[in-house]
Amino acid sequence: MTTQVDDHAAIELMGLTKQFSRSTAVKDLSLRVDRGSTFGLIGPNGAGKTTTMKMLMGILRPTTGAVTVLGTNVFAEPLVVKQRVGYVPESHHIDRWMRVGEAVGFCRSLYESWNDQTCQQMLDRFELDPNKKVKQLSKGMLVKLSLVLAVSHEPEVLLLDEPMAGLDPLAREEFLDGVLRTICERGQTVIFSTHSLDDVQRLADTVGILYDGRLLVHRNIEELLVMTKRIRATLTGGHPPDCLPENIIWQRVQGREWLVAVGDFTVEKVQQIRAQEGVDRVEVIDLGLEDLFKDFIRERKAVS
Amino acid sequence: MNIDPRSHIPIYLQIADGIRDAMATGIYSPGESLPSLRALALDVQVNPNTVQRAYDALAREGLIYSRRGKGLFVAEQGKADARTRAQQAVRRSFDEGIRTGHATGMDTKAVRTVFEASLSAKDSRASNPPARDPAEK
Repeated sequence: MTTQVDDHAAIELMGLTKQFSRSTAVKDLSLRVDRGSTFGLIGPNGAGKTTTMKMLMGILRPTTGAVTVLGTNVFAEPLVVKQRVGYVPESHHIDRWMRVGEAVGFCRSLYESWNDQTCQQMLDRFELDPNKKVKQLSKGMLVKLSLVLAVSHEPEVLLLDEPMAGLDPLAREEFLDGVLRTICERGQTVIFSTHSLDDVQRLADTVGILYDGRLLVHRNIEELLVMTKRIRATLTGGHPPDCLPENIIWQRVQGREWLVAVGDFTVEKVQQIRAQEGVDRVEVIDLGLEDLFKDFIRERKAVS
Repeated sequence: MNIDPRSHIPIYLQIADGIRDAMATGIYSPGESLPSLRALALDVQVNPNTVQRAYDALAREGLIYSRRGKGLFVAEQGKADARTRAQQAVRRSFDEGIRTGHATGMDTKAVRTVFEASLSAKDSRASNPPARDPAEK
């Protein structure tokens, strides 16, 4: 039997679960990211973002489930996959005693192909001096070096694990510029995790919200913004109507005020709410990514 | 062009609006070329795929067109669009105000009174500008 290889998928996670001795970090995670697109993974601390990234990179083995990158099983052929993937980890593992030029030479030796020109251009643009010791680099410089080392072998997929955390605004902008340039020039797939919703807005085509190891939503970012709305209504009797709208993300009743965030928003949904007994003054509130993210997380917190 | 990542308006629509504004104010005139995907993506610091969606939207409306190998250009229609757009923008703001009015239990007459009051307040402010603080830039 031959397995169907999906040419359009850059990565595919199927029913991924990762158990550690005391906890389950990732729970039945399935996800597919198309080639040439950028996927942003957001979630609070401890949601399982880094664990997911490490499984994608083949550094951590899932308890159950499968990881496919560019049609290749990450754990069956780890070296094949590593040649085609670039990775900027959360904590940088470049040997501190090396000089920048030596770190470049070392990485260069690990890959079958290496674009010296790209590498040099990026080092120049980031003003990374080849003679400088890695341990003398600022955090921002180190992250930028890490990006140079992750893209100079011209990978088809770039994984960035919270790369911009702790960077000053200027370093952040330069890093973002570096990532955007590689996307412009090479059109590679980018998978990144972050706490910054601004970065998601600037970089991502699709966004996933991870909470407590579960993927709550994975959607095109424009659709998510347009289709998720918060509705505010006055409840004359102080309790929500019997017939609730479908796909409620979060709701709260405080006194006579009813706030309800819904996915798949339509004008009909509002009309349905308005038509119900005990509901008055219905108002639709647009949500930015931050409020939307909070509504998704709030509901889960209330449940757990 | 200003991009607001905190806004509820998708970035590609913000970019499309930014380009429309640039056409309306004459930054881009009919027949002139628009920045390349790459140039605009790096300029406003967003993914080139997002810029592509903005350009696609404008092309669908006939405001810009592409010439093979030469890039994107502003269509004649781009300029005519500016006025309609201004009217639409004003209308959208009014609609919003009317909705708020109705949501708080005002009838059309009450909304109109408020609207007239704001208009005349604006007019009188325009004819008697407040004295400027000399320290202000």
